[in-house]
Amino acid sequence: MHASPALLVFHPDQWDPARAEQVRAYSRTVTPVLIPSSDPRAARYGVAGRSAVVVTDSDGEVVWRHISGSGALPKPADVDAALAEIIEAYAAPRTGWSRREFVGTVLAAAFALALEPAMTRAEAAAMATSHAAPGATRPVTLHVNGRDIALSLEPRVTLLDALREYAGLTGSKKGCDHGQCGACTVHVDGRRVLSCLTLAMAAQGKQVTTIEGLDDPMQQAFISHDGFQCGYCTPGQIMSATAVMHEPWGPTDDDVREAMSGNICRCGAYVGIVEAIQQMRRGSGGPQ
Amino acid sequence: MRAFEYVAATDIAGALRSARGVDARYLAGGTNLVDLMKLDVERPSLVVDVTHLANADPSLAQITELPGGGLRLGGLAHMSDVAWDARVRERYPFVSQSLLLAASGQLRNMATMGGNILQRTRCPYFRDTATPCNKRDPGSGCSALHGINRTHAILGTSEHCIATHPSDFAVALAALDATVRVRGESGADRTIPFTRFHVLPDAHPERETMLEHGDLITAIDLPALPFARHSLYLKVRDRASYAFALASAAVALDVQGGTIRNARVALGGVGTKPWRSPEAEHALVGRPATPATFAAAANAALAGAQPREQNAFKVELAKRTLVRALTEVAA
Repeated sequence: MHASPALLVFHPDQWDPARAEQVRAYSRTVTPVLIPSSDPRAARYGVAGRSAVVVTDSDGEVVWRHISGSGALPKPADVDAALAEIIEAYAAPRTGWSRREFVGTVLAAAFALALEPAMTRAEAAAMATSHAAPGATRPVTLHVNGRDIALSLEPRVTLLDALREYAGLTGSKKGCDHGQCGACTVHVDGRRVLSCLTLAMAAQGKQVTTIEGLDDPMQQAFISHDGFQCGYCTPGQIMSATAVMHEPWGPTDDDVREAMSGNICRCGAYVGIVEAIQQMRRGSGGPQ
Repeated sequence: MRAFEYVAATDIAGALRSARGVDARYLAGGTNLVDLMKLDVERPSLVVDVTHLANADPSLAQITELPGGGLRLGGLAHMSDVAWDARVRERYPFVSQSLLLAASGQLRNMATMGGNILQRTRCPYFRDTATPCNKRDPGSGCSALHGINRTHAILGTSEHCIATHPSDFAVALAALDATVRVRGESGADRTIPFTRFHVLPDAHPERETMLEHGDLITAIDLPALPFARHSLYLKVRDRASYAFALASAAVALDVQGGTIRNARVALGGVGTKPWRSPEAEHALVGRPATPATFAAAANAALAGAQPREQNAFKVELAKRTLVRALTEVAA
């Protein structure tokens, strides 16, 4: 089989561990490999003694490189774009697999191969384990959309990540991951909450509803009133909107704006969102 | 986020036991703690989930009557539940308003009474582990003193920290002379007057409250205060909604025959702690409810302000916020 793309992060010996977290956030599909920049492998990529991020393709060829003088890390979007390009290129000949399925399938098997010829398989395996998280997983049962889902999770896994990365429910979106954008809004025991700030452990024994489990005329109202453009914030908007129906807000458009201020829409579809919610609140008929 | 151990406590004694002697944090709504753990600002080795304590003692998540007309807010009661409660809205309008003007609908469904008053500052340097911060890393220095300090405090500051206390709710509690009920290692309840609950940064900004390690907030008591029915929480911010205060005022007035018999004044967005202003109250009580009196109270409240390069505007903004709040309550 072929190898898959690799993400190599070269770092100074004195390195803030928080940076490792930042680096892990670069890609949800390709696991970054952390290598001290004093390591001989750094010289092979021309980054000896420097902070750098290198993306290699399935042949181990460097396709993208970011060298930092100040220690600043490259923008996640740039890293993601570099990875996306070669992953799409590699995935293209195959049919019937989504990009997500494809990446998820090849990663585990191809991880060591990915680093050749710059690194042996044994070296790669050692790197991977030495930087693995120390937390132990434990069984967690989540009650989502009316069914029980049994998972094995570390305590630090949020409800959002449990839904998206472990339960395969990718309808809830990760926007800011800090409780500021509302894209991850779900219902827990009937109330709207932010799944990115909820630990999966703490959601046990509660009824979780995501957009996948919702069957509500609000969804049609958003369509009828153009309550979205790109659609990324929409699951969170709709989960929030359906909960607002049961909260004691006043009747005006301004009340809707206040009630919905925790859901940000970068496309600016607010006019349609307010119209959709007001149509539902007034109970003025179903879908147009 | 760093790895940590997680335990769900089933009763208060168990929670206190779990937290003893280790670098533990209690988890309730998680809206502040989980955020700060993601930022690597909070690094607990153990997280003790206290949300199940209400199964053993439902009053921990409820609002209950106190003798004499006060209300007890359970430490685990959610912001949204307290904000919409009919008794709170009738007896303490500024408490309800301070909660509804804070955060978002989702966050208010998660965040609790105990967690709200323990929330950490939004100072960007506190939240950025790449910069010095005396509150996060004692002795490392304060980046805000000569840095980006537009949103920082002008009252209660020190040469070691000028971080603003972010809570709106706490400002109303300060005006109200609320009381915090705490269960500590001894297992006995004790009470802390709210105006003494938070401490000034002085030389130790890492210490923010009177709590000892392992203390658990079980309730916040709102005393009976009939004239608090005439109260207002006025919040001024950069956006119309979902933003922290640049300046805010919690005001309650007892006006009879045009004369102010009693007054409560606290300011938010400008202090290193929720800022009760006895100076403003002194300037109000016994005087006519007129624009001149309100202006004098505002001047008294801000007399000790120590603005920095970018936040000098807050002195005038806080004065106008207070004058407008007093004017509206007296009307």
